[in-house]
Amino acid sequence: MGKKMMRRVVSSFFSLVALVVMVFFLSRLTGDPAALFLPIDATQEMLDQFRELHGLNDPLIQQFGRYVWDVLHLDFGDSIRKARPAIEVVLESFTWTLQLALITIALVTALAITIGSVAAFRPGGLFDRFVSLVSLIGASAPDFWIAIVGIVVFSITLGWVPTSGTGTVWHWILPVAVLFIRPFGLILQVVRGSMLTAFGSAYVKTARAKGVGNRSIIFVHTLRNAMLPVITVVGDQAAAMLNGAVVVETIFGFPGVGKLMIDSILQRDFNVILAAIMVTAIAIFVMNLLIDIAYALLDPRLRT
Amino acid sequence: MKGKRLLLGLMMTASAAASAWAQEAKDITVVLDEEVDLVEPCMATRSNIGRIILQNVSETLTELDVRNNKGLMPRLAESWEEASPGTWRFHLRKDAKFSDGSAFDAGDVKHSIERAMSDKISCESPRYFGDTKLETKVVDDNTIDITATPAQPILPLLMTLVTIVPAETPIEFTREPIGTGPYKLTEWKAGQSITLTRRDDYWGTAPEVTKATYVFRADPSVRAAMVAAGEADIAPLISELDANDAEMDFSYPNSETFYMRLDHSIPPLNDKRVRQALNMALDRDAFIGTLLPKGAIKATAIVPPTTLGWNPDVKVAPYDPEGAKKLLAEAKADGVPVETPITIVGRTNNFPNVVEVLEAAQQMFEEVGFKTKLQMYEVAEFEKQYSKPYPEGRGPLLVAAQHDNARGDPVFSMYFKYDSNGRQSGIANPEVDKMIAEATAATGEKRAAGWKKLIAYLHDDVVADVLLFHMVGFARVNPRIDFTPTIATNSQLQLSEIRFK
Repeated sequence: MGKKMMRRVVSSFFSLVALVVMVFFLSRLTGDPAALFLPIDATQEMLDQFRELHGLNDPLIQQFGRYVWDVLHLDFGDSIRKARPAIEVVLESFTWTLQLALITIALVTALAITIGSVAAFRPGGLFDRFVSLVSLIGASAPDFWIAIVGIVVFSITLGWVPTSGTGTVWHWILPVAVLFIRPFGLILQVVRGSMLTAFGSAYVKTARAKGVGNRSIIFVHTLRNAMLPVITVVGDQAAAMLNGAVVVETIFGFPGVGKLMIDSILQRDFNVILAAIMVTAIAIFVMNLLIDIAYALLDPRLRT
Repeated sequence: MKGKRLLLGLMMTASAAASAWAQEAKDITVVLDEEVDLVEPCMATRSNIGRIILQNVSETLTELDVRNNKGLMPRLAESWEEASPGTWRFHLRKDAKFSDGSAFDAGDVKHSIERAMSDKISCESPRYFGDTKLETKVVDDNTIDITATPAQPILPLLMTLVTIVPAETPIEFTREPIGTGPYKLTEWKAGQSITLTRRDDYWGTAPEVTKATYVFRADPSVRAAMVAAGEADIAPLISELDANDAEMDFSYPNSETFYMRLDHSIPPLNDKRVRQALNMALDRDAFIGTLLPKGAIKATAIVPPTTLGWNPDVKVAPYDPEGAKKLLAEAKADGVPVETPITIVGRTNNFPNVVEVLEAAQQMFEEVGFKTKLQMYEVAEFEKQYSKPYPEGRGPLLVAAQHDNARGDPVFSMYFKYDSNGRQSGIANPEVDKMIAEATAATGEKRAAGWKKLIAYLHDDVVADVLLFHMVGFARVNPRIDFTPTIATNSQLQLSEIRFK
């Protein structure tokens, strides 16, 4: 197990390096931040000064060498837009994203497992059919639409929650709710399917024949085995959220890393793009590692 | 029963919380369209930074009043005069203090100008000065001479663009702006909000607003919703679609002029008849109240009607498709390649409906016989087509763009847009260059007359471009405050002008 994890860490490190190198050169091919930062009628002299100031006049390979050297010294450069260290900007946004992702994914997983298991217990029953329909609608409705409708209904008409922003616990309700819907539908379907298969398997039939109660069948016998595919989907969804939920962040004015990344790409704020990619890539890698550990804990065959 | 009680309790808590995120009596919240990531005073000519900083935190020597048409007014300078050719003497206020407690004097003005013009920092202000070099000489604590080379007759107007910081401010961008204005920055939560609080030791009249919090929401409907829900007081920019409440919503000229820049060096656009035909092919009235808001005004110049030297005698080209066809036929007979496909270059998200507007224009051009192609670019790519050096091997281009001038003088537009060396000029015309130079150097009536002549010449004789509309913006204002957006709202939002009903 330890050896396997070590191999994983080493290969992920190389992937990260490859990713950073690729993003460094690709982002620099997309254009010049000077033209975007300075006003559209800036003089040539101002443009040249700006490029000089930010080291953009040097050959690309020299810029790359300097970047690598600085990163090795834990200096990720400054954001051109914000005139402050890029890593500081990214970590600030990432903290917001991390909170949003953790709250949402915890809620989604808990509810999807409970409801999905109950639905699978009586397949084709009224509750099962209702749950399937709701989850299908949830998984297919566009985020921005749900968000705007949510604001109109719950903020403007009912006045229960604020439209957007951060500050109180009430501010989290709408963004988490919107972010919740799609993964909930998806994970619920996987839980249901996986539980159905488990209920039909020989060991459940044996347990039943032995007179084991329903509750015990679900929570002791079935759930553990049915969780492996669920963990994979939860992992995928969590990874997507760690990358930032751009739509939700944009609409609710949530200062997360997804919106930061998109803005930085549009503004060609290279150091922020690179720092954001490094931070999210490492987070996703750590998450995958946790999933591997969870897998190993659930399935003894993987603990070799 | 228990469940019901719980639900009731929850709802009551929720409504109590709802009132908690409504506004305190004299505090206001302003919702801006994008995150303000810099509050550097020398960047205050950038619209959202200006809305926070300009005259609220950092003041200027002079101030241009477009709200009451008072023209150029004193602010940190009480008076000024031209001491000798090219040198202006400014007499400064004696009672102004910075928010850090230090007194304001001529040394601060000197440092502010040097800092803004320094090549160690990329401030916005230098662009308004073009090639003009500034030299400052402190006469005494309350008097400063500013010399412009070449002489700059509108130097006092240009001083509306230079924000004054204390002499101790370092050259690099500051994140703690200190100014002489009625407010100071008291909180900045990066990405979330910026708060200004009223100062007790301000030299002028104390404004009514005690505290202003600026928040950022990218989605226009959310900005409108925030004002409707009582969470915000002013949303300077909402979409026309959301502006559906007569009590709260205002339309105001946003100082932008929408036009198509023609590249006169490339056939068939080098032929005046072709340029006239493009202008005559457009049914401008058809856009207003349909694809563009009702308040849009047909343009005859690149500057809005509130600008010095604006010429009311210049008339918009009439919609005349038959006339356009005739002109094209004449040009064709003379060997002008009128059938060469012309590319219309547009910028995505430039303003609401930009694609639809350009598609409609394309249709109108094609109806009179032009062959056109529409190409939309995001801002960085667009910029490559819009500013010199223009791409090599380009074909004939119509670059559709907006130009912003709320500064009251065409000098901020004409050189860039029409001089042979202007970075965004599509023409190279010695007569135009001469007229720009003359008007730029003139003062008073002569200056106004110079611009007036240039505006007519560009429109009628050169047919420089396809001028379209002076645009309008929409703002939503909470009925509890007394504030009417104007053309100035595009670049500043003076909190001292806000009253409570």
